Amino acid sequence: MGVLDYIWLGVLAVFQGPEIGLLGLALPVTPVMILGGFLLGIMVGATPGLAGPMAMAISLPILISTFGFNPDALLPVFGFLIGVMKGATVGGAVPAVLFNTPGTPDAFMTTLDGYPMTQRGQAKKALRVAHFSSASGDTFSDLVLIICAPFLAVLVEAYLDLPEKTALLILSLAFIASVIGGSVGKGLIATGLGLLAAYVGTGEDFYPRLSLGTEALAQGFPITTAVLGVLILGEVFKGLDDLWTERLTNQRYEGAAAHGDQTLSRGDLKRIFPFIGRSALIGTAIGALPGVGSTLAATLGYTVGRARHAKTRTDDTPAFGDGAMEGVAATEAANSSVSGANLIPVLSLGIPGNAAAVFLILAAESIGGFNPGPSVFKFSTDSVNPELVIAFGIFTAMFIANALNWTIGGVFMRSMGIMIRIPKHILLPSVLLLTLTAIYVQETRLSAIWFAIGFGVLGYVMRRLGISPLPFVIAFILGSNLEETARQAFAATGGDPFFLFSSLTASALMLLTLIVIVFSLRPKKEPTLT
Amino acid sequence: MHRTPRANLYLGLVCLVFAVAIAGLWVPFDTDSGLLETVRRRVSIGDALAPTIAAFFIGFGGLLLMVSDRNANDQPALSAVHLRFIVALVALLVVVFSVMRWTGPLAVALVGPEEPYRILRDTAPWKWLGFAAGGVLLVTGLIAAIERRMSLRAVLIGLGVVLALIAVFDLPFDDLLLPPNGDV
Repeated sequence: MGVLDYIWLGVLAVFQGPEIGLLGLALPVTPVMILGGFLLGIMVGATPGLAGPMAMAISLPILISTFGFNPDALLPVFGFLIGVMKGATVGGAVPAVLFNTPGTPDAFMTTLDGYPMTQRGQAKKALRVAHFSSASGDTFSDLVLIICAPFLAVLVEAYLDLPEKTALLILSLAFIASVIGGSVGKGLIATGLGLLAAYVGTGEDFYPRLSLGTEALAQGFPITTAVLGVLILGEVFKGLDDLWTERLTNQRYEGAAAHGDQTLSRGDLKRIFPFIGRSALIGTAIGALPGVGSTLAATLGYTVGRARHAKTRTDDTPAFGDGAMEGVAATEAANSSVSGANLIPVLSLGIPGNAAAVFLILAAESIGGFNPGPSVFKFSTDSVNPELVIAFGIFTAMFIANALNWTIGGVFMRSMGIMIRIPKHILLPSVLLLTLTAIYVQETRLSAIWFAIGFGVLGYVMRRLGISPLPFVIAFILGSNLEETARQAFAATGGDPFFLFSSLTASALMLLTLIVIVFSLRPKKEPTLT
Repeated sequence: MHRTPRANLYLGLVCLVFAVAIAGLWVPFDTDSGLLETVRRRVSIGDALAPTIAAFFIGFGGLLLMVSDRNANDQPALSAVHLRFIVALVALLVVVFSVMRWTGPLAVALVGPEEPYRILRDTAPWKWLGFAAGGVLLVTGLIAAIERRMSLRAVLIGLGVVLALIAVFDLPFDDLLLPPNGDV
């Protein structure tokens, strides 16, 4: 089995997998699921108050019930989730451009130029720029993922032994704790809480540790309750609180009459292309780092684009902030190019970099048969490595989603302006019941609901205190892996208490951990976005 | 006079105390093995080490908040309004899930067949009663609370959401149980 054989098997796994009957035709189910996920993702992204991770969380139990717990389920489920992830990124620009309301947090910068374009009667053109830039950034990012992830995984497997892998996990957690949320202290607290939750009811002793002698805690916290509780319920609770305190206002959303040419001409493409290129590079580089989100990528892409535009623009073109199409392009290319690159640490190291990646790992853990990490990319020649086939199936699914984005994504996206009219105070209670139901059908016990509500309250409190919930979730997922690797490394080095410094690579990774924390503790300059 | 915000100081202090409590009380009294274990002269990592490291993260984070972020400009805090809201929401959820848990068994006891609810938990319409009652109460209650008035529209939306969830989670699948039917 060579590399090309594996790639081909991955493509075949997508197109020759299980079939679904639609309109009398037997269609391969994975591409159909990618399409379904992509369209749902655009709708969700275009709805302020909803987000891609919410749709992924709610869909997961339905998908698993539909496809079952077997390896055949992996690609249809991954395909759907990847579709949602990509669709939501594109959809977030719709309300940002049309109504000055970002559909997703990373689309905030899109409002700065997208909405002024709408006010000038250039709404459709702004949406076309947003879609073209988003699809370009996304495609570029996927290419980088496909090239880099296998190489990184092979390098990790070849050069990192157990102590180095433990040091790498510690570095990842320290990095995530330090860069998310802007306060190292708060990041470390969230990471510590995530690790603590992961260790309840687990361990190697006969007595399940930290279970307080109770049966409920002895089984530990199900991963679904912790992830959905902190990420989704916490957000819903905060949204409900905001609605409750702010009181309802009857906001009217009115469009502006169209003026001038709404198409993207060759000249327009020539103008925006350098901004797309720069932002795609920035977004991809940021996306490859675990924990650094698309909002930072959008901000950086916009800031770099603005500096460049100020030097090169002519007097008859609007400046950034006044409705420059280059501003929309810079933001959308940057935030969209994060999504593919964010899967680099997931697939090559098993470290989730963002909320969407968390749900891919959750799906893999629920279904079984695929453990994201360096072992996936073992190019075994004598027998087929099924995980590697799945990995290339995932890459194929990403390209199908990209093809859908380029072909029907723009048209579908431009018809989604209506989603902003769904009142948030109806949406959030419905999402709350939907999420709790989704948790119950997976765990089938009321104690899981109470755990989820408890984690939801924790997520709410964290948000109110300015603590990002993402380090908590990532630490919860990586907690058992970290402990297991450390135990093995300790045993393999003959009980050496300094096993984290037993080699040059491990010492370098630990030194890097220290540098990351110390560097993040330095006082930061406040960003200025005028 | 300008008052320095104290949210980070208090949060840091709470985390530090919590971390000390975890490492000093919870972990030693609620784990079977220590930080390191020696079995037949072979040293291995015990069950207490990982949670102690988690406590260290929490405590160190708290310490950093108290020292380096103490005078930060942006110090979000939990207000009494926030606490009131979250207590009220959890109270509503307790009521909702109590209604969900007991509506089905109560209906069967009052007007149902001879069998206990446990036997009927996968039989329509009994299996939907608790979910429908609790679900409508949750959705309608929250909409009414935010709108500051009860309306027929809110009830109909609650009913619509519940019916949609039954259609999505229950009708197509034989192996899925809606709440609370896995516990009764």
